[in-house]
Amino acid sequence: MLGEFEYLLITAAAGLGDGAYGAAIREEIETSTGRTCSIGALYTTIERLETKGLLKTWMGEATAQRGGRAKRMIRVTPKGVRAAKDFYDAVAKVSRGASWVTHRGSTS
Amino acid sequence: MSSTHWSLVEAAALLLEPEEREVVLGDLAEAGEKGLRAVLGVLGLIAWRQVTAWREWRPWLAAFGVAMPGSFFLMGASISVSAGAAAWIYGGALTPAASAQLICEAVLLVAWSWTGGFVVGSISRRTLWVSAALCLSPCTVCLAEFRSQTLSRPCLMVFLIPALAGVLMGLRIRRIPFPIAMTLAVIVTSFLLPKLTTQPGWMSAWAVVWPAWYLVVVARRAKVAEAQAR
Repeated sequence: MLGEFEYLLITAAAGLGDGAYGAAIREEIETSTGRTCSIGALYTTIERLETKGLLKTWMGEATAQRGGRAKRMIRVTPKGVRAAKDFYDAVAKVSRGASWVTHRGSTS
Repeated sequence: MSSTHWSLVEAAALLLEPEEREVVLGDLAEAGEKGLRAVLGVLGLIAWRQVTAWREWRPWLAAFGVAMPGSFFLMGASISVSAGAAAWIYGGALTPAASAQLICEAVLLVAWSWTGGFVVGSISRRTLWVSAALCLSPCTVCLAEFRSQTLSRPCLMVFLIPALAGVLMGLRIRRIPFPIAMTLAVIVTSFLLPKLTTQPGWMSAWAVVWPAWYLVVVARRAKVAEAQAR
């Protein structure tokens, strides 16, 4: 099963679609969670997920905004989508009945 | 970001592999990451990479199985070849037997050093700096202690030239073709057999033999995998 940060990374990459690359994913995670995402944690996790076959990466184009340096583009593989869905289902299942869950099933 | 901080970031990023360096520096530039945070971010990634790399067996083998023991043996071989070359240059013509021995030793020195360098480069790219330090530390000690009327100190380190060529090649490609690997291994082993079994220092002699057979195994596996894929 995925770890919490692995899930965040896969979900952010999936949400960004064709525009998923290191800096964009990092910004997405920081904005969504309010937590700092270090470059070290980001790229070691990306490499680990790629080794597991959950992500695919390749070198993208260089832009002036990046000082003429290339991006590392990222795509979530079908295996990665399944792993993220399993994680989400597990969290949703274990959260049922928790006081902070707002969308509980009707009890009346 | 100030130019000083950015220079620090770029200097730290030199420890990353070229492709990753480009990506990381690009991300930092795009995010407009500020001074110390950027430096710490890059250092953190380097630390992560090193920790991950040293969890595998390959860097240990490259550093303590090839680089360090190999350098002791190859320094001895360097002196032997240098002494033979000095006798040939300054002492006049060598006998045919001595000439053949000198050529043979020179070829072996190149083969041993190149093979060791190739294996170190191909199996421990992220920890190459440790292997390099472990190879150079015996050289540094020996350079300080070396005394000879006829040979200069750099003669100790003749092996570093082919070894460096091997490292550079090993960083670019992971294996060499099977026939070449096999030929190299047979030559390297057959000429070293007496040292492997009888003379003192056989352990460091093994350190220059096994890399050649490692290349044979890697090439053989690749050949089998290619045949199965067809």
